[in-house]
Amino acid sequence: MSRLMNWRAPMLSLLVFFLGIGVWHALTLPTAAPQTVNDEYAALVGAAAATGQKSAFPTPADFGKKVWQHLNEPFYDRGPNDKGIGIQLGYSIGRVLVGYLLAALVAVPLGFLIGMSPTVYRALDPFIQVLKPISPLAWMPLALFTLKDSAVSAIFVIFICSVWPMLINTAFGVASVRREWLNVARTLEVGSFRTAFRVILPAAAPTIMTGMRISISIAWLVIVAAEMLVGGTGIGYFVWNEWNNLSITNILTAILSIGLVGMMLDLMMAKLTKLVTFAE
Amino acid sequence: MSEPLIRIEGISKQFTGRDGAVTTVFEDLHFSVDPGEFVCLIGHSGCGKTTILNVLSGLDQTSSGYVFVGGREVSGPSLDRAVIFQSHALMPWLTVMGNIAFAVSSRWPEWSREKVRKHCQEYIDLVNLTGSEKKRPAELSGGMKQRVGIARALSIRPKMLLMDEPFSALDALTRGVLQEEVLRICAETKQTVFMITHDVDEAILLADKIVLMTNGPHAKIAEIVVNTMPRARTRHDLHKHPHYYRIRNHLIDFLVDRSKAFAGDSPDYDPRHPPLVRPGLDATDAVAADVAKPLMPAKPLVAVAG
Amino acid sequence: MSAFKDPFDASTSLTRGCSCGQHHSEAAHQADLAGQTTDSELLGNRVVEAAVMRALFPHDATRRRFLNAVGASTAMAAISTFFPMGMAKEAFAQTGKLEKTSLKVGFIPITCATPIIMSQPMGFYARQGLNVEVVKTAGWAVVRDKTINKEYDAAHMLSPMPLAITLGVGANALPYTMPAVENINGQAITLAIKHKDKKDPKSWKGFKFAVPFDYSMHNYLLRYFLAEHGIDPDKDVQIRSVPPPEMVANLRANNIDGFLAPDPVNQRAVYDGVGYIHTLTKDIWDGHPCCAFAASKEFVTTMPNTYRALLKSIMEATAFASKQENRKQIAEAIAPANYLNQPVTVVEQVLTGTFADGLGNIRKEPNRIDFDPFPWHSFAVWILTQMKRWGQLKGDVDYAKVAREVYLATDAAKLMKEVGMKPPTATSKKFTVMGKEFDPAKPDAYLKSFAIKST
Repeated sequence: MSRLMNWRAPMLSLLVFFLGIGVWHALTLPTAAPQTVNDEYAALVGAAAATGQKSAFPTPADFGKKVWQHLNEPFYDRGPNDKGIGIQLGYSIGRVLVGYLLAALVAVPLGFLIGMSPTVYRALDPFIQVLKPISPLAWMPLALFTLKDSAVSAIFVIFICSVWPMLINTAFGVASVRREWLNVARTLEVGSFRTAFRVILPAAAPTIMTGMRISISIAWLVIVAAEMLVGGTGIGYFVWNEWNNLSITNILTAILSIGLVGMMLDLMMAKLTKLVTFAE
Repeated sequence: MSEPLIRIEGISKQFTGRDGAVTTVFEDLHFSVDPGEFVCLIGHSGCGKTTILNVLSGLDQTSSGYVFVGGREVSGPSLDRAVIFQSHALMPWLTVMGNIAFAVSSRWPEWSREKVRKHCQEYIDLVNLTGSEKKRPAELSGGMKQRVGIARALSIRPKMLLMDEPFSALDALTRGVLQEEVLRICAETKQTVFMITHDVDEAILLADKIVLMTNGPHAKIAEIVVNTMPRARTRHDLHKHPHYYRIRNHLIDFLVDRSKAFAGDSPDYDPRHPPLVRPGLDATDAVAADVAKPLMPAKPLVAVAG
Repeated sequence: MSAFKDPFDASTSLTRGCSCGQHHSEAAHQADLAGQTTDSELLGNRVVEAAVMRALFPHDATRRRFLNAVGASTAMAAISTFFPMGMAKEAFAQTGKLEKTSLKVGFIPITCATPIIMSQPMGFYARQGLNVEVVKTAGWAVVRDKTINKEYDAAHMLSPMPLAITLGVGANALPYTMPAVENINGQAITLAIKHKDKKDPKSWKGFKFAVPFDYSMHNYLLRYFLAEHGIDPDKDVQIRSVPPPEMVANLRANNIDGFLAPDPVNQRAVYDGVGYIHTLTKDIWDGHPCCAFAASKEFVTTMPNTYRALLKSIMEATAFASKQENRKQIAEAIAPANYLNQPVTVVEQVLTGTFADGLGNIRKEPNRIDFDPFPWHSFAVWILTQMKRWGQLKGDVDYAKVAREVYLATDAAKLMKEVGMKPPTATSKKFTVMGKEFDPAKPDAYLKSFAIKST
């Protein structure tokens, strides 16, 4: 019985999946319409236009074929503007990780200082509150103008967007370390360095990691948009390039892979969070 | 008489509220604790008991007055004075062993890992937690957590143990067991202890001296009760001793009536030398009451409402 | 604007002696035309001098004060004593060692960029000893920023952009040059299929149109076209700036009613059954410039040999592209994902001029798009009049000077000769736009003649 229960959720998932595909298939079934133009004209336009219609949304089969094609050849390189989806994802992940790690390097120590001192917390809070909600793409023109390098700008945008959740969570985590743990450290005459690393850091770690998990999701959201803007390489550029080509199948493939990578990044962070989380 | 381990001279504590009004929690307290002595402090909530303990541990400062430990003024927390916190204050990310080792390696940073482990094991065994070394606090019962707290405090071999209502969060059975453990450990280690409690029976069971505080604000030490019961006590036989009800009645009488009424303005009262009383020896006072209450429960575990 | 004064001309003179506005008199103009090399050398010299002067006196006011105080020739002599001006000039004039062989050139994936793109797969860059990476870019603002940031050595731009950048309109002023036009004609007005019965522009009130960029021929041509049909582009319709890749998607989604766009966007709208081609821009102004090859003045002056080699590749490619018989081959070369990322047939229809119009007809317009690199100064002047007409540019403009400084007609002519093309003998010419003649010598009068304009 319980084994059956265990299967219920996956079965339901599969059902939803096939239902979705079915609806998609039904909605995109080609409507058989007679060709409204002569053959010479028909050769010049797409299949839909030849029957007096707008080009159609791809069917699940079209999409499946495209995904298979990409899976077979994820790492091809046919010049600077045409690389496989695997390479593009690699560029994006690389950018995200560089920007994200830089942000962590800045946010965690800074958040620590802010969290330790209520005065600094109050002094910097207005700046953080103003800077935090700024859309990543709003930074892009500024970054391009001042940094004068699009690769650096993209990384900067990742940095600036992923820095806030980490900074705020670190500060909050550090500030809300239980007084009694600090008192234990004080009565044991533990130095401030050892207190920071042995008491405050592990105590705040779950909160910090939550901030880092939020950050990586944001960073991944931002990179696609940023790359659509700067172009060159990356999955965002891939989407833009295929938009240019109005290739919905390719865009869907990209969307799928963006989702999968995003999920993987999040799962990774969830695992790490679990490592530092403690029950009370 | 030898120099007391702790000497408190005229300490007082004032808080400034939000509206700027100054509240004096307690004022002009004087008392001392001798080496090897077990002193309990009893008083109602709000008389500043925890503040006094924090002052002794060095975590808090007084508004005026001095605290001397071993003849030197307290300037901050010290490894000489270990604290057992009411809420056990274990670090949940560390195991039982880890929590104790944190204290031990803070006390003796030069010790090898193995030496620290051995030392910790000694104290884990002392509090009867053998086998639970690798457990985390979340996997322990309340009583076991407090045992870890006790082991951690003792493991650094402090000159003095400061306990802040250590058993108040535990159920009655566990509390009883732990009280006897503390009794045993103190007998074994001759540890000097200063403990805050509002449990009269706990004080009679454990203490050599019981400091009675009046209600705050402006709390004072009304008197110091000397526990005249013999040192070899057990929870089970405690109430059979003739001194027991006399001391107990005296304490309850104080907590119920006199702690409120005490003004400290009688001409005999000198805050620098609060009266030292021995109600256990005062036969006329309590025997009648003793007889008048034959149906006293076998396990008197009356606690004053906090 | 001020950055464009003749470096050794202390005063600002608005009236010029000759028809192209470049010479002090018509006689000098004729003399220059007789010996094109002289003119080209003169201009080359001026470019170098301008760069040196600008480096020494970054502030215009300072430079003018200095020149007023000592006189231009004294200034020249004085500067020559410590700066080897002669050497710098020579370096530009001669074909020497390439300063840099690996270059990055940015492009927007449209057929206007054909010469820039095709030079890579078809080896025109390699022939000049250059290893050029052509980088697809998301939009003109990014092309501009990346060129300003020196990520790109040169780039595909819209022909009004170098003018706008130099004048500091819509960007920080930066001396820019446009040594070659890439294509002429090649754009079209495309309307949504649902408007197939509204062929008369007078019925377009309330339409929403898209153009690729504010500073584009597309914007100016659409506005011109609408205004000629009595539609005020600022009041009667909405014109938005939409990147070309998004145009078909927007047309499909009914967000816009039509656009004046570069190809392959128009043909792609037909291919997808979304729109029909209403008017080819060659029928608005036959021979109008559209996109351009542009580089910063700094690149031109610091790497003259590389610049020359690069320009020569573009010229050769343009010459190759201008021949009808080569067009199919080019279409195949530039259609793949690395370049335009379009079906080959779409690109082929654009380049060959035999195309489906979206209404079931096959039209044959061999000069739908053509390639002619010569950056006529009069093109720049016309663009400037339109910038003023639609309020992008305020105040007085020295049309001729800006045109001459930015549109490097003489460089182009010299290189065109080298690759076997026949450059025109003049740098300025009259032309007609929708039946109305434009005289580059009288821009202000031209501007005044329009009834519909922003004020």
